[in-house]
Amino acid sequence: MSTIAGGRAARRQTMRRIRPRRSPAIPLLIAVWAGAAGVIWLWWSNTPSIADDKGRILNAGRITGLLAGYLMALVVLQMARVPALERRVGSDRVARWHAMSGRYMLCLTLAHIGLTMYGYALQANTGVVDQTIESVKTLPDMGKAAIGTGVLLFIGLISVGGLRKRIPYDTWYHIHLLTYVAVYLSFWHQLSTGNDFAVEPAATTAWYALYGTVTALVIWYRVITPVRLNLRHRMRVEEVVEEAPGIVSVLISGKRLHRIGAEPGQFFRWRFLAPGMRLSSHPYSLSAAPRPGLLRITVKALGDHSTALKGLKRGTRVWAEGPYGAMTASRRSRGKVLLMAGGVGITPMRALFETLPAERGDLTLLYRANSTQDLALWDELSAIADERGARLMYAVNSPDGERPDINPETLRRKLPDIDEHDVFLCGPPGFAEGAYTALRGAGVPARRIHHESFEL
Amino acid sequence: MKKSHPLRRIVLAGAATVSGIVLLLTLKPSSDPAAASAEGTPQGQQSVAPQGSGGVQAGNGGDQTLTGDVVKTDYGNVQVRITMSGGKITSAAAIEAPSGGRSTEVSTNAVPKLNQAAIQTGSADIDAVSGATYTSGGYKKSLQSALDKAGSSSATGGGSADASGSTGGSTGGSTGGSTGGGSTQAKTLTGTAVETDYGTVQVRITVSGGKITKAEAVKSPSGGRSSQISGDAVPKLNQAAVAAGSADIDAVSGATYTSGGYKESLQSALDQAGG
Repeated sequence: MSTIAGGRAARRQTMRRIRPRRSPAIPLLIAVWAGAAGVIWLWWSNTPSIADDKGRILNAGRITGLLAGYLMALVVLQMARVPALERRVGSDRVARWHAMSGRYMLCLTLAHIGLTMYGYALQANTGVVDQTIESVKTLPDMGKAAIGTGVLLFIGLISVGGLRKRIPYDTWYHIHLLTYVAVYLSFWHQLSTGNDFAVEPAATTAWYALYGTVTALVIWYRVITPVRLNLRHRMRVEEVVEEAPGIVSVLISGKRLHRIGAEPGQFFRWRFLAPGMRLSSHPYSLSAAPRPGLLRITVKALGDHSTALKGLKRGTRVWAEGPYGAMTASRRSRGKVLLMAGGVGITPMRALFETLPAERGDLTLLYRANSTQDLALWDELSAIADERGARLMYAVNSPDGERPDINPETLRRKLPDIDEHDVFLCGPPGFAEGAYTALRGAGVPARRIHHESFEL
Repeated sequence: MKKSHPLRRIVLAGAATVSGIVLLLTLKPSSDPAAASAEGTPQGQQSVAPQGSGGVQAGNGGDQTLTGDVVKTDYGNVQVRITMSGGKITSAAAIEAPSGGRSTEVSTNAVPKLNQAAIQTGSADIDAVSGATYTSGGYKKSLQSALDKAGSSSATGGGSADASGSTGGSTGGSTGGSTGGGSTQAKTLTGTAVETDYGTVQVRITVSGGKITKAEAVKSPSGGRSSQISGDAVPKLNQAAVAAGSADIDAVSGATYTSGGYKESLQSALDQAGG
C-alpha cells in the first residue's frame, strides 16, 4: 500500500512539473477569419448597389482582389519565423498552412485578374487581351503589379508537385524568396487603383498597418534575431562522430549554449560555412539537451547536404537559426509517455528521453530500425534507461528481411495502459503514418499523439 | 497524420469561395440609373449656389468668374476657378483636383491652402504646398491661365462667353465657364450633381437665346476604367446636348450610367433656365 501511495505522491509531484500549453492555432485561425470578414465588410460598405452583370463581374473581381491582398500578407507572415507559430503551433503545421494558403492566394489572384479585365472589357466593348494591355499601360502601378503577378505565377509553377521534385531544394528555395519582390510590386496597385482604398482612407491605413506589421516581423525574426543569436553564440564544429552506418553526430561548440533557449525536441536550421555548403540551410533536431559549451545534432545521410556533413572539419563556422519546433515537453498532458522513433527520427526522441519529467516506469521508448546495427545512439539510450528506470524497446527487421508489424494488438501487448499515454512520434513518413494508425487503433486519442511531419 | 484528401479540399475551397462571392453579389441590391438621382440633390444644390450667384453678379457688372485651363499632372487633373472683383481675386476654388487613393488626402489638404494663397497674393506667384508639389504646380498653371483670361476679357469688354484659351482636358469638352459681364442673353447654368453607380455627374451649360450653345461635364466618373469611359462618352454627350437643345439625347453605348446621370443633370440645368 505504502509504495502505491508513494507512487501516487511522486506522480503528483511529476505532474506539477508538467505544464501543458495549448497550441494557439484555434485563436489564430479565428483571428484570420475575422480579418477576412473585415475585408468583405470593407467591400460591402463601399458598394451601395450593383448595376448589372458587368457590375457583378467587376465586383467579384474586387472581392477576390481584396481577399488575395489580405491573404498575401498572411502567407508572408506564416514564413516570418514568428516564435508563437514556430514553437507553439509547430513549424510543420505552419509550413502546411503556408503552402495551402499560398496556392489559394494564387487562385484568388488569377480570378481577380480574369474577372476585372473581363468586366472592363465588357464595359469598353473591347477584347479581354486588348483591355489587359491597355490597363497595364495606363492605370497607375499596374506595370509593377503585372511583373509581380508574373513572378508569383513562376513561383507557383515551380512549386507544383512534379516540377518541384526535379529542382534541387536550394535552387527552389532561393527562387521562392522572389516572393518578397512579387509582394512588394503588387502591393502598390492595390492602393492606387483599389476603389475601396480611394473612398475609405481608414482602409488604406489598415492596409499599411497589415503590410507594415508583416514587414517588421519578417525583418525582426528572419534577419535581426538570427544575426543576434549567431553573434552571441559564435558556433563552430567541434567534432563529427559516426554513430551507425550512414548516421553521424555533429558536435557544435559555442559560447553560453545553454542560454540559447532550445528545449529538447526542437531543431535549428543549420548552415555550415564550408565550401559548397554555404548556400544551403537545413533543419536538424538536437539529439541531446544543450550543454553550456556544446550542442549535438545527429543526421542520417539522405541527401547531398547530410552526406557532406561527414567531411566537416573541426573549427568550421556554423550559422544557426532557431530554435523551432513544437514537439517539446510542454505538449504533454499525462504523466505517462511513450516515445516512438523510426530510424534517424531518434534524434529529438533521444533528447526528450533524457529530459522529459517522468516517474520511474512511466517513460517508454520504442525504437524502430532496419537492423540492430542501425540503432544509432543505442548505448546512450540504454544508459539513460537504466538511470531513469525507463523502458527501452526496439523493433528491427527479422534476418530474412521481414518488417515487424506495429499494430494495435502488439502495442497493447507491450503497453497494456497505452491509452493513458502521451505519444511523441518521429520518423520517416511511412513509419509515422503506420504508427499513427496503430496508436489510434489502440485507443490513444489524436490530441495526445504529438508528431512533426515535414512532408507537404 | 490525418488522412488528407487534396482533391476534396480543392473542390470544397473552390465551391465555398464561388458560392460565397455569388451570395454576396446577389445580396447587393441592383439599381437602375434613373432611380439613383434623388440622393445627389442636396450636394447638387450646394455646388449650384456659388455658380448661380457668380452668374448673377456678373450681370451686375462687378464680379467676374473665370475658369482656368485643365492642367494635367502626374497624379490627376487640376482646374482652378476664380472670382475677380475690381482686379482682385475674391475667391478661388479647384473644381478639379487629383483624387483616388492618397491623392484625395493630399488634395483635401493642399487645395484650401492654395485657394487662400491665391486670394492673398492676388497672382499665380504662390508657394507650393509641401507634400503636394505636383498639385501645387498644376494649380499655379491653371490659376495663371484664369488670370490671363481676366486680362483678355476685360480688354474685349468682358463680352465673350467662351474663353478661347481654355483647352479640353480629360473631359474632352471646352471648359471655359466664364460668364460674360455685359451679355444679357448668354447664361451659364450648372445642373445638380447626380450620383451614379460609378461616380458623380454634373453638367454645366451655356444658354444663349433659348439655345444651348455649349455643354460640358464639370464632374464625371473617374478612377480606373471610369476615366476612360468618361473621356470617351462625355464629348459625345456634350455634342448631343448642343445638337438636341434639350435633355432628350441618346445614351452613349458602354456608358449607360454616365449618360443617365448626364441627362438628369442637364435637365435640371435646363429647368433653371426656364425658371
